[in-house]
Amino acid sequence: MAVTPAAVGSVGTVRPARRRRFRRLGTLERRNLMWGLLFISPWLFGFIFFGIFPIIYTFYLSLTRYSGIRAPVFIGITNYQRMFADPLFWKATYNTLYYTLLAVPVGVVIAMVLALAMNRKVREVAVYRAVYYLPSILPVFVISFIFVVMLNPGYGIVNQALTALHLPSPNWLGDPAYTKIALVLIAQLGAGQFALVFLAGLRGVPQELYEASEIDGASTWQKFRSITIPFMTPIILYDLIIGLSFGLQVFTSAYILTGGGRTAAGADNSLLTYVFYLYKQAFQFGQMGYAAAMSVALFVISVALAAAVFRWARGWVFYAGEEA
Amino acid sequence: MRPIGRFRSSVAIASIVLVVSACSNSSSSPAASAAAPSAAAPSAAAPSAEASASAAASQAAGASAEPTPITGASCAANATEVKFWTSHTPPDSDALKHIVEAFNTANPDICVKMTTVPGAETDVAKLLTSIRGGVAPDVYMADRFTVPQRAAEGVLDQLPDGTINAADYEPFAYAETQFQGKTYAIPFDTDARALWFNKDLLQAAGCDLTKFDMSKGAATIADVTACADKVNKKDSSGNYDIMGWMPGGPGAGGNAGAFDQGWHYTWGFDYGGKFADLSACKVTPTDPGVVAGYQFLYDWAKAHDPQAVSRWVTTNLPPNPPAAQNPFWTGKLGMTISGDWRISEQAKYAPQGHYGFTFIPVPKAGDPTSTWAGGWSMALIPNSKAKDQAIKFMKFIAGTEGQTTYTKESTHLPTLLALQKDASLFDPAHKQFLDLLPTAKSRPPLAVGAAYWDALTSAMGSVELNTKQPMDALKEVETAVQPQLDSVGC
Repeated sequence: MAVTPAAVGSVGTVRPARRRRFRRLGTLERRNLMWGLLFISPWLFGFIFFGIFPIIYTFYLSLTRYSGIRAPVFIGITNYQRMFADPLFWKATYNTLYYTLLAVPVGVVIAMVLALAMNRKVREVAVYRAVYYLPSILPVFVISFIFVVMLNPGYGIVNQALTALHLPSPNWLGDPAYTKIALVLIAQLGAGQFALVFLAGLRGVPQELYEASEIDGASTWQKFRSITIPFMTPIILYDLIIGLSFGLQVFTSAYILTGGGRTAAGADNSLLTYVFYLYKQAFQFGQMGYAAAMSVALFVISVALAAAVFRWARGWVFYAGEEA
Repeated sequence: MRPIGRFRSSVAIASIVLVVSACSNSSSSPAASAAAPSAAAPSAAAPSAEASASAAASQAAGASAEPTPITGASCAANATEVKFWTSHTPPDSDALKHIVEAFNTANPDICVKMTTVPGAETDVAKLLTSIRGGVAPDVYMADRFTVPQRAAEGVLDQLPDGTINAADYEPFAYAETQFQGKTYAIPFDTDARALWFNKDLLQAAGCDLTKFDMSKGAATIADVTACADKVNKKDSSGNYDIMGWMPGGPGAGGNAGAFDQGWHYTWGFDYGGKFADLSACKVTPTDPGVVAGYQFLYDWAKAHDPQAVSRWVTTNLPPNPPAAQNPFWTGKLGMTISGDWRISEQAKYAPQGHYGFTFIPVPKAGDPTSTWAGGWSMALIPNSKAKDQAIKFMKFIAGTEGQTTYTKESTHLPTLLALQKDASLFDPAHKQFLDLLPTAKSRPPLAVGAAYWDALTSAMGSVELNTKQPMDALKEVETAVQPQLDSVGC
């Protein structure tokens, strides 16, 4: 069903397809629409009951005191007031934003590097692509468990390698300054997913431009900076938005690195991420209403950040195929 | 753009969507998982807090709907099923298993199925989600000091009046099972804490072991620290290889909290502090004794370089450490504040070593000795389909038969006063822990017990790393916990 936006200020009386009401559609189109809805109805029901309903219920719960067992008790905006006065809430927000602002750009760079590596025209490129992609199919909790051993300051392989290279070998899990960097390291093993997306984008760059630039004597770096990157900007934006979304919800790696979050959340609460604190409030302290308020706040923060990124992106994203 | 290019890009976008949705390892769409604190994701991803090999094995089998029980295989077909969950792992869960099997044999019409589930003192996520999901157990082994909080939340079911007799049980243990005048659990075991030491390490360093003689009363903290500093050994890079003692923490994996049992409660009680004023329904973390306890931890950490200490801990005690690799058994730690369960552990993990224990050291010579007692309890879960049978089982396991078996096999202490007088249950070493009980303190039974513990632990973490002053950290605890207590009441 093609939706063709009308040209702005057109003289004709063609009404945009999307504005036509259901009963104004022809019989064929109406039937097509019903069949379409029928086919997606399983997903639609799932989305409504497991997506939309929990979101609305969470908004409601954020205005209550609720332990998860007894009936919720309406308390107005007390949860929000408590939230803004809670130092751990601010600590969790700081931890999460610190992690996100570090992990997302690093992730973009690594995904780009991997994609460039996967794009090389060598015979065994299929093997290399598989090898670079493999770490990202491991579940995060598996990687976290392995990293707990690898990051051991005395016996861990990471520190042994650093010591062999005469670099400082930090106390990864015990030093609050390094715990979030350990989280960022763990996240980078998932870069293979985004590298695939970047690879698809790289393949979409017209080869004629590279050939033309070679004729003009461009160096590899100039080709990369002036041709590859501009064509990749939509994909980079996509990676930023998705990375931002996942980054703000980081939980599993923090939970595993702290040994299951029994009471503590890393050295000096440095691994207390937002969703981790939300989980503690909901399940360890029985404060479901407060946790719901935190969810709502996270939703607002995420939307605001995403909107900010989209606004900022207008300045540098280049969509090939649009009018300049 | 050429039509073929647009087609190619739409195929690329479709495949991107497929790949991302197939490979994404968080649940559904970002907005939905951000907004809904869904129970499924955390409990599916969360492994046991104290995962040992056997617990992990039973969890691998139980990662789907129901965990696999480890008893009840040979029950009669028409026996009433009672589901019993515990978060204990071997060796303690082995003792529990024997008690359950004895009950099943004695009561052929009841089949108790015991399962080890993930959880910890303050983490009952699995229990909460199972109650909401309608697949809850009938009996749960709950950490006793959290019973009032769980009762307030509605997680535990009230026991009928007269189920247990207050006079039979240790007074503080009974008090912890009460909430608003009703009983919510039956006290099971208790324990006490002492200063354990590795005789070989201390003698090799030249410490005077007569100071650790229990007949002479408690040693002073200064003496113990001086001895420990002799035992400290650094390696060529300047990191601690062997530590003399670890009065506080950090805990396993560098987390806030105690390395062993040198908790905030331990040192707060040691310095004569009170953590709550029950008559006024107030938490008192800024009590002078409590602040003094935290100040001791701050000063000790400062004197020994918090980062160096933390590095030793994360090297030798990673998150979820196996009990056999505890640095106290491997000769990396000279002294530790620990409990009576070390007696059975030593027999298993370091039978060739020479270990002893004495009173927890006191601030000044002549101060009264101090320790505190914790312990677990058996609690009834609401909406149980086999309530009478479950209560019968609870009275067995937390009664004379169950506590006798558990005391002998796990070297914890019984809460039944009659059993405490039974000399046959205690070997000489264990008897000394029993003698600590009359003067042992206990945690205040508050409806915010778990939240208070966590807030105190968080403060302890900051103090251990010297990132906050004790009074500032403890004031934050008061600000965080008192409003919650006010809303629930005492």
